[in-house]
Amino acid sequence: MADVSIQQALNQAHHALMAADDRVVLIGEDLTPGVFGVSEGLEDRFGSERVINTPISETAFVGMAVGAAMTGLKPIVEIMFNDFMGVCFDQLMNQAAKISFLSGGNINLPLVIRTTIGAGDHSGAMHSQSLYGLLMQIPGFTLACPSTPADAAGILRSAIAATTPTIIFEHKGLYGATGSLPSAMEATPFGKATIIREGSNITIVAVSKMAREALGASDELATLDISAEVIDPVTIVPFDYQAIEQSVRKTGRLLVVDEGTALGGFADHVIAHVSQTCFDAFKSAPRKITPPHTPVPYGFDQESAWLPDVQDIIAAAHALMGNG
Amino acid sequence: MTLDELKKLFSDAVFIRAFENGMADLAREGAVPGLLHLSNGSEVAELMLARYLNAETDKVFGSHRSHSLALSGGVDAGALALEILGLKGGLADGVGGTQHILSAETLFMSSNGIVGAQVPHALGAALSAKTMKTGGIGVAVFGDGASNQGAVFESLNLATVLNLPALFFVENNGLAQSTDSSELTAGQGVAVRTRSFGMPTEQVDGYDLYTLDQTLERVIGYVRDASMPAMIEVFVPRLSGHYFDPDSAGVDENADPIDQLIERLEAQEVSKDAIDALRDSAQSKIATLVEGLRSRPDFRNSEGAQNG
Repeated sequence: MADVSIQQALNQAHHALMAADDRVVLIGEDLTPGVFGVSEGLEDRFGSERVINTPISETAFVGMAVGAAMTGLKPIVEIMFNDFMGVCFDQLMNQAAKISFLSGGNINLPLVIRTTIGAGDHSGAMHSQSLYGLLMQIPGFTLACPSTPADAAGILRSAIAATTPTIIFEHKGLYGATGSLPSAMEATPFGKATIIREGSNITIVAVSKMAREALGASDELATLDISAEVIDPVTIVPFDYQAIEQSVRKTGRLLVVDEGTALGGFADHVIAHVSQTCFDAFKSAPRKITPPHTPVPYGFDQESAWLPDVQDIIAAAHALMGNG
Repeated sequence: MTLDELKKLFSDAVFIRAFENGMADLAREGAVPGLLHLSNGSEVAELMLARYLNAETDKVFGSHRSHSLALSGGVDAGALALEILGLKGGLADGVGGTQHILSAETLFMSSNGIVGAQVPHALGAALSAKTMKTGGIGVAVFGDGASNQGAVFESLNLATVLNLPALFFVENNGLAQSTDSSELTAGQGVAVRTRSFGMPTEQVDGYDLYTLDQTLERVIGYVRDASMPAMIEVFVPRLSGHYFDPDSAGVDENADPIDQLIERLEAQEVSKDAIDALRDSAQSKIATLVEGLRSRPDFRNSEGAQNG
């Protein structure tokens, strides 16, 4: 079977899910033709009543999707860039995240929010953030950061079947990334990390596009006789603590690579947790690589200096190994 | 409205008023964990709204001040009271509380701790009804204070461009929390705004029960049949403060819509004794409910656990 891109995998998954269930509707801005091609062909096939182009009113259309999910539909809402969550944050933080809890579990909220993250395409500070760490601090969401076509489609499949809201963070720099897609309808389970490379010296936990960077770095580290185990958590909430702990007990070294925020984010959470559960296994202090704690800069050079890359990972690996 | 319907409306309104006053008593005793916002003054309008809604297909979304809306929308008074007290057996076993009343199976669906946030949810219910072709409508109930929220502006536009069967039901009590809302609202108020979206808009005096009833029937019929949004602004008093303290109400206590019901019952030659019997029956149900709450082993007030 020919490889597909993440964009193609998501597109195929949308087609399959909407064909399989009339209750699935897609809601968002500019869906036809669609900014990243994910919604291509959906309006032609399913009509404008199920592929709902909205005004630029995130509060109203995310809120509408919340209400629709409370009353029997299974909406997939596209927030074009996760930076735009700022204009509808009440509907996320106070509404979508809390309704099921506040109902004592009596009201399901099968709401799927898809959004884009990531720097590297020079979109500047308001179209390039990776805000999953911010959302991680709000109980009530499943948060997914798929890095492969199969996981992107599979997470969407699981999210549609869930009874509580899911936010899928799609990295803009990964839409063209290719891989196999055995089936557009195969579910990827929540809370199960993927060990994308086995190794024995260092555990590297890397999210979204950073999983690909870490894989690239691990090739180079192998030539230096440093065996890195690279783990892609796929979902950060729920998080597969067990997979990370097992790996750290084997390697004794932990590196977390995260494009999210430097302060109080995903990387800090993983290190804090593993330090509590596996402290006795550490051969050296755990480390994180995140961008500096500034907004994403715009210029070619400034942005690439801001982003973690393969060389940063290799340098951190050397430090963990006590080589420098 | 038949005489029997009028009697039921009166009984239900008195029941809701007694419920709220019962909750206020419990709050004064320190038995209510949270801040209590009473619906006193809006019961009659909300009960009349529910007359034209279908519990099978329609959904109502209210504000933080929604005890009456919940009761008029089919929520069980006992489960609501326990939720307000934060106790097991409440709608959500007490994790939600007075401002977050959620009910899956009834006409009333939810209330909300954030002013105006419920309004887009009603659009979602309208979208569900439209997509699944149930013939239902979504109803957003909010106040004049909420009409200055962005969520409301956005929802008025979105409902219109998507042709959603959504009713915007504005209860104008003239107060945004504790401030005169006319001081905070530019132009001529929310009705002028909704008209500017091309939305049919009606303004009704909440004391004029005949016109309110006719308006509800006509406008809800339009929303349902045309699958289009519309707005009704009803002027109602708030007979309590922002919280339950009656001293901060600042309203004419004689201006009570329930008195209008009594006048209409009397006009149809229902005797004073018969009216008193209806009132006593409704009030005694609440007295029993409140006593039942006080005697629960998990009841607590400001002096700590009473019965545990």
